[in-house]
Amino acid sequence: MSNTVRFWLMVLPGTVFLVVFLLLPLIAIVVFSFWRTESYTLIQDWNLDNYATIFSHSAYLTFLARALVMATCVSLVCLAYAWPVAYFIVRYGGRYRLILLLSTAAPFLTGEILRVAALQQILGPIGVVNMALTRFGFDPIEALMYSNMATGTGLVYLWLPFMVLAIYLSLLNFDFALLDVAKITGAGPLRAFVEVTLPLNRAGTAIGIVLVFIPTLASATTSQFLGGPDGALYGNILARQFGSTGTWALGSAMGVVLFLASALALVIVWRAVGDLRRSGIVIKGAPKP
Amino acid sequence: MSDCMLRLQSVTKRFGTTMAAESVSLEVGQTELFALLGPSGSGKTTLLRIIAGLDAPDEGRVLIGGRDVTRLPPYRRGIGMVFQDFLLFPHKTVAENIAFPLKMQGKSRAETADDLKWVSQLVRLTGLEERYPHELSGGQKQRVALARGLVSRPSLLLLDEPLANLDRELRKRMEVEIRRFQLELGIPFIYVTHNQEEALTMASRMAVMREGCLEQIGDKLALYHRPATAFVAAFLGSPNTFEGDVVGVEDGRAEIAWHGHRFWSRAHDGLAPGLRAVCYVKSEKIAFASSGAALAGRLRDTIFKGQYADYLVCLDDGHEITVSAAPDLCHRPGEAVGITWAADDGDAFPAVGKE
Amino acid sequence: MNHRSGFGVQVLLLAALYLFLYGPILYVIYVSFQIDSIWPFPPTLTLEHHTDLWQRRDYHAALWNSVTIGFGTGLIATLFATLAAMAILKYRSPGSGLVAGLFLAPLFIAPILIGISSLMFSRTVLGMPGSIFGATLANSTYATAFALLVVLAQFARYDWRLDDAAMVFGARPWRTFWEITLPITWPAMLGAFIVSFLLAFNNLEISFYNLGATPTLPTLAWGALRHGISAELYALAAIINFAVFALFTVLYLLLRLGTIRID
Repeated sequence: MSNTVRFWLMVLPGTVFLVVFLLLPLIAIVVFSFWRTESYTLIQDWNLDNYATIFSHSAYLTFLARALVMATCVSLVCLAYAWPVAYFIVRYGGRYRLILLLSTAAPFLTGEILRVAALQQILGPIGVVNMALTRFGFDPIEALMYSNMATGTGLVYLWLPFMVLAIYLSLLNFDFALLDVAKITGAGPLRAFVEVTLPLNRAGTAIGIVLVFIPTLASATTSQFLGGPDGALYGNILARQFGSTGTWALGSAMGVVLFLASALALVIVWRAVGDLRRSGIVIKGAPKP
Repeated sequence: MSDCMLRLQSVTKRFGTTMAAESVSLEVGQTELFALLGPSGSGKTTLLRIIAGLDAPDEGRVLIGGRDVTRLPPYRRGIGMVFQDFLLFPHKTVAENIAFPLKMQGKSRAETADDLKWVSQLVRLTGLEERYPHELSGGQKQRVALARGLVSRPSLLLLDEPLANLDRELRKRMEVEIRRFQLELGIPFIYVTHNQEEALTMASRMAVMREGCLEQIGDKLALYHRPATAFVAAFLGSPNTFEGDVVGVEDGRAEIAWHGHRFWSRAHDGLAPGLRAVCYVKSEKIAFASSGAALAGRLRDTIFKGQYADYLVCLDDGHEITVSAAPDLCHRPGEAVGITWAADDGDAFPAVGKE
Repeated sequence: MNHRSGFGVQVLLLAALYLFLYGPILYVIYVSFQIDSIWPFPPTLTLEHHTDLWQRRDYHAALWNSVTIGFGTGLIATLFATLAAMAILKYRSPGSGLVAGLFLAPLFIAPILIGISSLMFSRTVLGMPGSIFGATLANSTYATAFALLVVLAQFARYDWRLDDAAMVFGARPWRTFWEITLPITWPAMLGAFIVSFLLAFNNLEISFYNLGATPTLPTLAWGALRHGISAELYALAAIINFAVFALFTVLYLLLRLGTIRID
């Protein structure tokens, strides 16, 4: 039995599982997006009405645009924050690296709903910040809660660990001695960062951006509880199709649009990375110079 | 070979487009220490892995003790192996590491204890049995690896660059030890290395490998003194290289014209007057001569190496030749010297790649 | 910016990050032990909210369901991720990239999309109504990606030539796994199990659509939160955070343990 056969035998169970329970469902909603729903039943009646609905009603597009803006802002905030943090952990963390990293990831695993609840307790109208303000005779700050700002804070809170993790893993494989080389050859700290550190970690950073952008683009729970009456995002409207209204075909089409938007974001970010060799990544089997 | 223990028949292995082994045929006798020498990437480790059963050949057969084992997995070949970087099991003690092959064979506790005692004495490890690999020095790890390879008294021991990670002193000692084990056990050792000194020290016979092909197999002295190919001539020892024109060929010798000088050397296949030739002369075979010298020049520098010295002789036309000789020759830099060598000490091959 | 001040700024940022991440959590834990949950100063200690929560039968069922989903997901994800990681690192076969891409793909798909697509698929194509089973399978696709990351990171340090050595000395493939691979790499597998267990245990967006009418802790909390935050939610959040931190400590020790010295 050759190694290739062994390889495929070992990856087969998981591959079959993911094809059946991940890929086929995704294909299924693409199919259903061209059907229609009638009183909580899908009817096979090939048409483009669902897409026509999405693209002709400004409401859907507005929600999508809002989600795009929100996801972009959240990704940028996470990016700006995660870089110095990840850099610090890798550079100076020493033997505490692992615990410093895991500490950023632990809250992620407590789940979205409990973290939203915790944020409500802090930021909400009767949350500790506003309570403190009124106690000491100030006016409560309305924008803390039920605003896009609150949703954004919640999303950063939820997904920042992903960005830290991606940049951390990238920096872990970065040889910091190269910085010394850059400095000896005359580059200042900023120049060394721009010429050496950033390019060599561009791919890892891009992965971090995508890992944050995609789930925030689809976020529903955070905006539901923190966004207030005008804070609904695309994910909320999408969720509604599978809840009270039961318009599954339209919901499927909305899911497909969401998926395409995510894919587009992925492509754009990856295009921005450009030639992987310029990021110091060697592809196996590539011709040697 | 009548007492042939290992036989490879036209073994071929490709990795993508690279040939790791190209129709390799080889026989190793019952009591040989056989060295497989080659530069890194020459396919020698792949060949060893094929013998062990860790890689399957694309074509050809592997026979151990006359039995065709080509399709047998490694765990049914009954061989021992000493790996590069030792590969001791980090979660097992020295005793458990050494006894691992016995455990796999389902040996009884008493047998295991006997074999452990025997092999610990053989490789001088007594007293370290309860330690873990990371508590051992490099030399001790080496001994454990050897003990693990030998404990089940295999019909064949494979050694993959076993001394590459040891310092020079330790390596010298282990070279002698490994020879001793081989003589005591009387089983063939197949020893892969890129270090020619190691191979020449330890082996009885050896083969030189290059790009998946065996260049030459034979007695180590024959390979050293009578290389059959240009690659072997250039690879073994530290030869001087002369590239010139063949003036004449007669009686197995060729006369080479090299930058206005002429000298004779042994001629290999394919040499004919008018062709380009490359001639290799090992530096220790060149001698200083006061009269009748083939070449004249000045001593540029002396590099003292302990038991001998390399004398760098700069010829009048600017070419440099290395002469290895006793370190106490009182030549001074700048002094005029003549050098010469016997015709049989040069090996001329047709030059390839250039017209 | 000179080196010193740059260092200081980074320390401050890191400290601020931890405050941002843990402040709300620690505050909720604190509040869960206070009588006045709106303005709990000065502190007035009580276990009332926790005992209240303990007496709610619906939470018992939900806890059991969450544990079931977490356990099932943990087993499935760890099994598939371990097999795939071993195959990828050990055999370095062509196709490794493709397989790794498939296994990590869920990271690049929004959880809500996994939720609704598996809902539509199992209801329409497989004809299965929502159930714990369906939710476990849907969670497993997502968790396998995380499990693979954990396992790959740890397995990368394992020297697969040790398996070769075992085979040469007479160990069959299963024996090799049992004697050599497993004793050295089990912390990675248990770590992957913990991560996938926690992901599925606390998951809302995937589970929600696949559960049908079955309650879990996150869906109960979701329902409760719609009526505003309540005292029993503080208690729940406190307990779950404790559990997560406990398991995370185990995870940390495992990852530490995983660095068996191979020198």
